[in-house]
Amino acid sequence: MAGDPHLARLLEHPAIWRGRSATQRPGLSTGFAALDEYLPDKGWPRTGLIEILVSRFGSGELSVLLPALAALTRAAAARWCVWVAPPLMPFAPALASRGIVLDRIAVVGGARPLWAFEQTLGSGACDAVLGWARQPKAREIRRLQLAAERGRTLGVLFRPRSAAREASAAVLRLRLEPLAVGVRLTLLKGRSARRDRLDLPWPADWPV
Amino acid sequence: MHPRFIPAAAPPAPSADRESVGAPLRNIPRAPVLALPPILELWAGVHLPGFDSAEKLELLATRAQQFTPRVSLVPPDGLLLEVKGSLHLFAGVAGLRAELTGECRRFQAPPVLAFAPTPLAALTAARAGRPLEITAAGQLIGQLAPLPLTALRWPEETLARLARLGIRTIGAVLRLPRAGFARRFGVTQLAMLDQLTGRTPDVRPAFHARERFRRRRDLGCELTDHGRLLTALAPLFTALGAFLAARQCAVVELECLLVHRQRPVTRCRLSLASPCADGQRIAALCGEYLNAMRLPAPVRACELLAEVPVPHVPDSRCLWQPGEQGGEEAAVSGALVERLRARLGPDAVHGLTLREGHRPESTWALSGPPPAGSLSGRTRHAAAAAACSTNAQWPVFRRPLWILPAPRPLPLRDGWPCRGGPLRLVSEVERIETGWWDGAGIARDYYSATDIHGVRLWVFRERAAPHGWFLHGVFG
Repeated sequence: MAGDPHLARLLEHPAIWRGRSATQRPGLSTGFAALDEYLPDKGWPRTGLIEILVSRFGSGELSVLLPALAALTRAAAARWCVWVAPPLMPFAPALASRGIVLDRIAVVGGARPLWAFEQTLGSGACDAVLGWARQPKAREIRRLQLAAERGRTLGVLFRPRSAAREASAAVLRLRLEPLAVGVRLTLLKGRSARRDRLDLPWPADWPV
Repeated sequence: MHPRFIPAAAPPAPSADRESVGAPLRNIPRAPVLALPPILELWAGVHLPGFDSAEKLELLATRAQQFTPRVSLVPPDGLLLEVKGSLHLFAGVAGLRAELTGECRRFQAPPVLAFAPTPLAALTAARAGRPLEITAAGQLIGQLAPLPLTALRWPEETLARLARLGIRTIGAVLRLPRAGFARRFGVTQLAMLDQLTGRTPDVRPAFHARERFRRRRDLGCELTDHGRLLTALAPLFTALGAFLAARQCAVVELECLLVHRQRPVTRCRLSLASPCADGQRIAALCGEYLNAMRLPAPVRACELLAEVPVPHVPDSRCLWQPGEQGGEEAAVSGALVERLRARLGPDAVHGLTLREGHRPESTWALSGPPPAGSLSGRTRHAAAAAACSTNAQWPVFRRPLWILPAPRPLPLRDGWPCRGGPLRLVSEVERIETGWWDGAGIARDYYSATDIHGVRLWVFRERAAPHGWFLHGVFG
């Protein structure tokens, strides 16, 4: 039936809506054309847990995410964007100057980052949750992934580079290394056959 | 609340019509037609001289509801009870008077009680100190006439003017021509006189006793496990949810008592961020509190107590699922903040705000949690526009995404700052020299630097001696 040219032409009619097209939701644009092309969903997934592995805090992992976060907080029906247990405080003027709407940002501190991360992911109150956790176990990461799906939230977990050897339930894993101006990304896990590296320079007008 | 039916005139007696068939009219006796209509209401006015506690008055009104469901408050020192229907239950007016007096004496308030067909008449007689019992409409004006005008509690100035006219009693004021009285002394006073005599209905707001929720559950066996305790508490929370939903109320505070065999009762006090009527949400929150609590002994009974529910209009439900298209987002984000605070402490959740400031560390501040609920379309556009304009006004300075709580001194090697290895300065200098006017001035030369791992840092050198190097931020 699929090969029937008459049927195929009929189904191309714009008034016909097919359920299949709704399920193919495009990813969240990263703000970098090269990175959009590199990632499996043509952007960050909108739902689910992703992992970014860095050798040192501050290697450029936040800058990679920032254009997408800015787009999320400026959307018409924006939910919160929560930072769970960040190692330092985000600098509000810098975030504002990069286009982030500050009244969608919440910072959660406290003694139990993993618990807070899971609660925040699963609450449905957030568009994105960024989390820094010490050494989460594979089972805990699975719980985070399920919570992110429950809350229809993008969860970003920052982990040390040594965690690359461990199994993980995250939908996307990226390794990130700093360059002089920009970062080098390696896709470790994702629905894509690409395993090459991507050197992503920062735009010329970025104040770094 | 309770519309009163006042017959305009006595209805003609139907029996007279029936008997009149074929008989000459003039022979009919007319006495039954002229009979006065029976009164429809009988009000008991309770005046408590020197009573001024609104709280006690409410308590007394609650007690008075055993005599009649229709009680209304006349603060600060009066109560009105409609007792027509209750007379036969308390052995008539005299029996009711004895019961009510006894009830008031419990509050150390000896009352003056008067009974009349209109509420204002009963109250006025009581205030005048006359324990009248007017049970027929015809006696009303005659009995009220000798009462002093002061019992009506009119303004002093009106009373003085009336006194100058020689009018000191209610009877005298009722004899004045209506039009002239209204012109000279105001329509309000005339309306009061009409309510006094029953010409116009006097609608009094009914008193409703405050309700509270109290439900106890005795457990079949003694429990120590938090999870099982929560399961045992679940029916109580369901009952609380139903109680609140039926009354369109919500609670802000409630108490959960855990009863032990030997030890004193453990009290767990919950306070909610906003009025909540959802039993399940309260149950989840109570679970957080119980988890943080150490039980001194096994629990054999539990009790849920919710004082003073507040009126609550349930939110209109959204077409979207929570979180979808911004649907019900306000509710879920409020619940999230409550849950995080319950476990992590009251200041677990923060928002970020910008501040006017010259020093980098004073340009931002932590604030309370961001406003719940997505902004409506227009506000959102305004916010976005404001953000754009801020960006335009805000010169794109080199600022890091992460800031240290306080600048951290960097060790020096051969005069160069180090962090694991020597730092490499990769930018032009930016001098920030400000705040000299308020005693906390800074004079710093800021640079962007990379350490040996390639991490971009925001460092500065003090311009004043000893020219120390400090780390202030990470570009990230």
